[in-house]
Amino acid sequence: MAAPSHPQPGSVRTASGREVRLAVNGRDHVLRLDGSERLSAVLRRELRLTGVKEGCLEGECGACTVLIDDLPVNACLMLAFQAEGRRITTVEGLAGPGGALSSLQQAFVDNGAVQCGYCTPGMVMAAQGLLLRNPAPDEAEIRDALAGNLCRCTGFQGIVAAVKAEAAS
Amino acid sequence: MTALRVADLTALASVLQQSGGRIDYIAGGTDLIIERQGSPWANLIVDISQTVGLDRIEADAGFLRIGAGVTIARLIEDPLIGQTAPMLARAAAQFGSAQIRNRATLGGNIAGAMPAADLLPVLKCHAVKVEIQRRSGVREVLDFDAVVLGRGQTCLGNGDLILAVHLPLAEATGRISAFVKLGPRQAVTIACLNLAALADYGMASNRLRDIRIVAGALAPVPLRMDAVEAALRDRPVNQALVEDFLHALGQAVDSAIPGRASQPLQTAGHPWPRP
Ligand SMILES: Cc1cc2nc3c(=O)[nH]c(=O)nc-3n(C[C@H](O)[C@H](O)[C@H](O)COP(=O)(O)OP(=O)(O)OC[C@H]3O[C@@H](n4cnc5c(N)ncnc54)[C@H](O)[C@@H]3O)c2cc1C
Ligand code: FES
Ligand code: FES
Repeated sequence: MAAPSHPQPGSVRTASGREVRLAVNGRDHVLRLDGSERLSAVLRRELRLTGVKEGCLEGECGACTVLIDDLPVNACLMLAFQAEGRRITTVEGLAGPGGALSSLQQAFVDNGAVQCGYCTPGMVMAAQGLLLRNPAPDEAEIRDALAGNLCRCTGFQGIVAAVKAEAAS
Repeated sequence: MTALRVADLTALASVLQQSGGRIDYIAGGTDLIIERQGSPWANLIVDISQTVGLDRIEADAGFLRIGAGVTIARLIEDPLIGQTAPMLARAAAQFGSAQIRNRATLGGNIAGAMPAADLLPVLKCHAVKVEIQRRSGVREVLDFDAVVLGRGQTCLGNGDLILAVHLPLAEATGRISAFVKLGPRQAVTIACLNLAALADYGMASNRLRDIRIVAGALAPVPLRMDAVEAALRDRPVNQALVEDFLHALGQAVDSAIPGRASQPLQTAGHPWPRP
């Protein structure tokens, strides 16, 4: 897992069918993309990282949340080429060897934070982004960090409990 | 279509020299990508979200210079902003969601010029100037009111770039300030009304002087509330003042949006439907 090297030329040209280099979950990918393609679509279609969900495509639901340099963002509101030279983490990047769940993911399972599961990857990534910056958040901080993620099923209690449990561990 | 990431302003200058057509600058993309669902992208997309020179917050001669590329998240955390313009940090803290705050920028908020944009009333209240680089390369420093002209309207032509905001220090230091946002729900909400207030409070006299109050989302552009300021100016701060303030504010809102009851102001959190 060599760290990608990103020389910084004055400008990097990408056009229809031109190359875009993305560092995702510790691996480098070189893709041919149209400049206006969204990061969420590219991660799903080109890299088959279907843990990245597309819900509203308007920044409202958070299902597409990924980390860019450890900060949670909506992958639907970023063009793929804008992510060049940055470190992208999707939910697939959290699991350990052999697909073992991370402790945060396990806390979601243990606390009944998952029903249909559509919101779950985005929730997990928003929580992961919070915990990387603030390992011991209080409930208000947890709720603020998850305010951009909608869940139609669980009513949020289990999700907040899962993040609390992970923070306490 | 061509998509470019410019590393710095020199790189941008050479891109501008070579291209004659329409340009879409993209910063955080939180407005533009949604807008482009209904309209075509320009042939040239220029990513300014990693452009060195747009990302700095620094004290300059008499003002704080805040780069247009600074994200909302950085406005919350930056110590210089916290010291000199805490109202800007508070407005940023109530802005969108964590994911939006990590991408959305100060420059994008100004360029979008939406009536409910949260940072605009704060910027007007601080009497900021806006530093612009025209497509020709010419730089200008303009009053906020000369930049944000109407709903979605600015003085920017295609290819013009906002470089930074200049926030005057003399009129910010030692002042008290407040930012209030009312929306249909608590979190991740579009403001029905937001208020930015800056004043000089004399502890000994218990009076407010040099008051500036600016409302957002009431009109196409942020509105200075002269009558509300007058109701507060140079009077002892007490319950009677608070009541007169709410009354004056209610009247100002009513006259800005005729036919809307001002009562929701007293029951903050349940505002009227959007105009
Ligand atoms: C879910 C959601 C919640 C939101 N919540 C809020 C909120 O609470 N408060 C609020 O005020 N707004 C909110 N917004 C709107 C948006 O996030 C802001 O207006 C933001 O500041 C836009 O910045 P950006 O960098 O994303 O702009 P972009 O989308 O990158 O650009 C928007 C426009 O500005 C132009 N532009 C950007 N930077 C410059 C520059 N330096 N010079 C010249 N032109 C430039 C672009 O060309 C484009 O036309 C929200 C949006 C979403 C999707
Ligand atoms: S799909 Fe990106 S926020 Fe809903
Ligand atoms: S579990 Fe179904 S949307 Fe959250």
